Amino acid sequence: MKYILMMNTMKAGQGVPDWPQKDLQAHIAFMMKLNQDLREAGELDSAEGLSFPNQARLVRAGKNGVPVTDGIFPESKEFLAGFWIVDVDTPERAYAIAARVSAAPGSGGVPLNMPVEVRPVMSGPPPEMS
Amino acid sequence: MKYILLMSGTKAGVDGYHAWSKQDIETHMAVLRSINNELTASGEFVATQGLAGPQEAKVVRGEKNGLPVTDGIFPESKEFLLGYWVVDTATPERAYAIAARISTAPGPGGVPTNMPIEVRQFATYGAKA
Repeated sequence: MKYILMMNTMKAGQGVPDWPQKDLQAHIAFMMKLNQDLREAGELDSAEGLSFPNQARLVRAGKNGVPVTDGIFPESKEFLAGFWIVDVDTPERAYAIAARVSAAPGSGGVPLNMPVEVRPVMSGPPPEMS
Repeated sequence: MKYILLMSGTKAGVDGYHAWSKQDIETHMAVLRSINNELTASGEFVATQGLAGPQEAKVVRGEKNGLPVTDGIFPESKEFLLGYWVVDTATPERAYAIAARISTAPGPGGVPTNMPIEVRQFATYGAKA
């Protein structure tokens, strides 16, 4: 079964965190090791990091179908910072991987314990919609 | 450049969607499939996924001992990711145009939903798969 692990941040995170260089490197090394372990276990479908919220645009179609873009977001909005799609046998395994992501080291090497949202990925539209 | 087009909604919106007529849902899905086919033909398609509903979502944190703690309680007003497209386009404007097309997918009675689509570029630094 495929699950998506989503790491969200608040708008306050507009750029690279103000951590010492050594801590940033330790954080990235942790994520790269995690991806390598998942790839070797055959559980990694994909993983991507997204650019910072100051580069996000909200798009709607105008009446003539022309895109209308808007970069104004409420302060309280959560932004997707990055995600993993993993292919695992049980939801518990997906939660265990999410817990590992959550424990990635932050400033001073202290685990961030950030919340990671875990959702099943649909293999196709629900029967009533296809 | 790779862009992700994020379609989000609240629980109320998802419940409303499930109340659409079968025909309206079929028309909506047909337009989305047609957009996917066109993006594949133009070589801009990278990936798309629909996500299971918020009732199946869990929030996980690592505890001190590294064990996962799950929590499925979300505020009613929380926005959930419903699905996304990843496209590879020459310009941001082209990514916005594709997002606008998705935004015009028909809703009840064939009226465009005009739902907002968040467009973000993939980061080119850090951990990659």
